[in-house]
Amino acid sequence: MICSGNCASCPVPLLFLAGGKRAKSRIKKEYTKPIQKKRLASQFIFLFITNAAFIFGVTGLIYPYFYCWEAPQATMSCPIGIMEHAVLETSIALALILTGTIFIVSSIFGRAACGWACPIGFLQDLIGKDKKKNKKGMSERDRKARYIKYAILAAIPPVVYITGTMAYTNICPIGGLTATIPILLLSPGGYTPTAFFIPKITLVALTIFLIVFVRRGWCKYLCPVGAMMGPFNKVSLLQIKFDESKCLKCYNCAIACPMDINMPYDNKSAECIRCGLCIDACPTDALKFGFTWQ
Amino acid sequence: MKKVAVLIISIILFASGLYYGYEDSKRLNESRCLGCIALLPKAASFSTFWVEYPPFFHKKGIPAHPEAVLNESREHVVMLFFWDTGCDPCKEQWEEMKAKGIVDGSESDGRMTGNFSNITLFSIDIFNEKDGLRWLNVYTPAENPSSTPTTVILFTKNNTTYWYAFSGKADGKAGRPDLNKLEEILNEAMVMKDDM
Repeated sequence: MICSGNCASCPVPLLFLAGGKRAKSRIKKEYTKPIQKKRLASQFIFLFITNAAFIFGVTGLIYPYFYCWEAPQATMSCPIGIMEHAVLETSIALALILTGTIFIVSSIFGRAACGWACPIGFLQDLIGKDKKKNKKGMSERDRKARYIKYAILAAIPPVVYITGTMAYTNICPIGGLTATIPILLLSPGGYTPTAFFIPKITLVALTIFLIVFVRRGWCKYLCPVGAMMGPFNKVSLLQIKFDESKCLKCYNCAIACPMDINMPYDNKSAECIRCGLCIDACPTDALKFGFTWQ
Repeated sequence: MKKVAVLIISIILFASGLYYGYEDSKRLNESRCLGCIALLPKAASFSTFWVEYPPFFHKKGIPAHPEAVLNESREHVVMLFFWDTGCDPCKEQWEEMKAKGIVDGSESDGRMTGNFSNITLFSIDIFNEKDGLRWLNVYTPAENPSSTPTTVILFTKNNTTYWYAFSGKADGKAGRPDLNKLEEILNEAMVMKDDM
């Protein structure tokens, strides 16, 4: 058995329907080089593991990426949901398992989970608009806008503490996309909406709009889990190594980067999702993945 | 050196997180937070108390009522209210029941009040009470994950336990009783317990 057959529990088939042609051509065009082929396999495997409660059951592990634990076949817990519960219950145990998960994954791989494992990242890779050819990396305004996700992450604990509610989860668009909509599709007429239904679905629509029109728009500006992991890029064991002596200054790496990082010089950027598109784009192998203790 | 330190800290945090937090995380993951998905499930409208599972539950036979509940239900009508911290519909239902004079106090330290003070309330925080989730599973339809809020009313008469349960807020929608209906159900339970 390779899947539960519950396509509604999995966001990719749903959005294949909406963006099928684009997703198909993206796979044919972008996932051709060796690293990208491995990445495609990894993204499919993690999509499956993420939604495989019908095999593994529900566990107490935490996704090291953003996914809703209320999704019909979710195997692990949502990092933001755990963060909110840790605040509401003043639970050190929950805080420990959350920080432990984020620290261990990020200190080894940096933000690679965004590029290689996250189903929402996969969705964005498949249906996001082709990026503009841009050698210069992100603009100053774009760079500042990237801080929004850190502001969201920083705001969650105090807002949850003050309101005493799952303030972020109540309106979480990823929850709407991967849990609310699939649950409604699986049980038509089985549920009635609460007051948060309209805000949640509106945010789902806005998020889909963002991820279709801005390549990796969710990761760049809004993902609080990406914000947790990003700073580890500077100290993670997995790095993108740059050999300046081989560099032709063609900036194919910067053009290929979906996160608009100023490659190859800013190769430790907190924005890097370790997708390897820059490495595949380099004609002289000046960039490569490597584990390093330095 | 910096990387070694970060890695060692990470390993310690992860190992202690798994040791202390895994079960808590699993318990949270096993129950469905209805407020979080902004949806409340359909329920079987109340017409009469059940003895066995009704067809709606897709489970068969007499439920395995928790022993403590069963013992109490021999003496008094019992209301179970399953809730979770941060669950908005739970809070709303509790506050509305309070305003209506059905319960008093807080969710964690509540009691039945007024006309219903003879009823025993089990207000169960499914995160902090270890048996909460197991108890909640008894009253959850087979195809649905256990979810909060869930309200159960039950009593035992002549060795037969009669019960009614619904998940989601008591708002009168999709088969769920509203608070007036909930009062009627509680009254009917008290009358049946005394008069049958």
